[in-house]
Amino acid sequence: MAMLKFCPMTPADRRYVVRTMAFMGGYVAVNLAAIFGAFDSVIGTPAGWVLGLAVAAPIAGQIWATLRLMVESDEFVRMLTAKRFIAAAGLAMAAFSGWGFMETYGTAPHAPGWLVYGLFWGFYGLVSPFIRTSQ
Amino acid sequence: MKNRLKLLRVERNWTQAELGERLGVSRQAVIALEADKHDPSLDLAYRIAALFGRPVEEIFENPHG
Repeated sequence: MAMLKFCPMTPADRRYVVRTMAFMGGYVAVNLAAIFGAFDSVIGTPAGWVLGLAVAAPIAGQIWATLRLMVESDEFVRMLTAKRFIAAAGLAMAAFSGWGFMETYGTAPHAPGWLVYGLFWGFYGLVSPFIRTSQ
Repeated sequence: MKNRLKLLRVERNWTQAELGERLGVSRQAVIALEADKHDPSLDLAYRIAALFGRPVEEIFENPHG
């Protein structure tokens, strides 16, 4: 229960929140623009590749923000975040690979690759209550 | 690793946040140390020992001896 006590945000936490909001703001903005037709003229053309990369760039940025959180935090938070990150990444890879094989060998409907990012953070939230020590 | 950190902190009337500030770690880290949920690095163990003016082995129980 000790770990559930309220802990105020450290400067590293605050920087992480600001960076995450900035990157996710960009991610949501580009996606919303695409959903509402702003890029209809480039979808399905070679320029669409650039659009795809533009949407993916904030994801890379957000992963960078998480890695910076590890660098800028104390050793306990660093270890805890690393353990959760590794567990979530492993589960997301296993789950998404499993789904891919079910598509290939079974009749599972196609799941677009970009789902793996949300899946990773979903697993991160899921494993966090169970990973509360650095040991 | 069992330790006397909480006892030493309470003796000085420090809060967990105050101790964290003096050690340069988060309150979350102090909570984990006191609850035996984090084994400190050698660097942090020496910082704690220096802060309380005691040898490391007086604060942390040696699990190997």
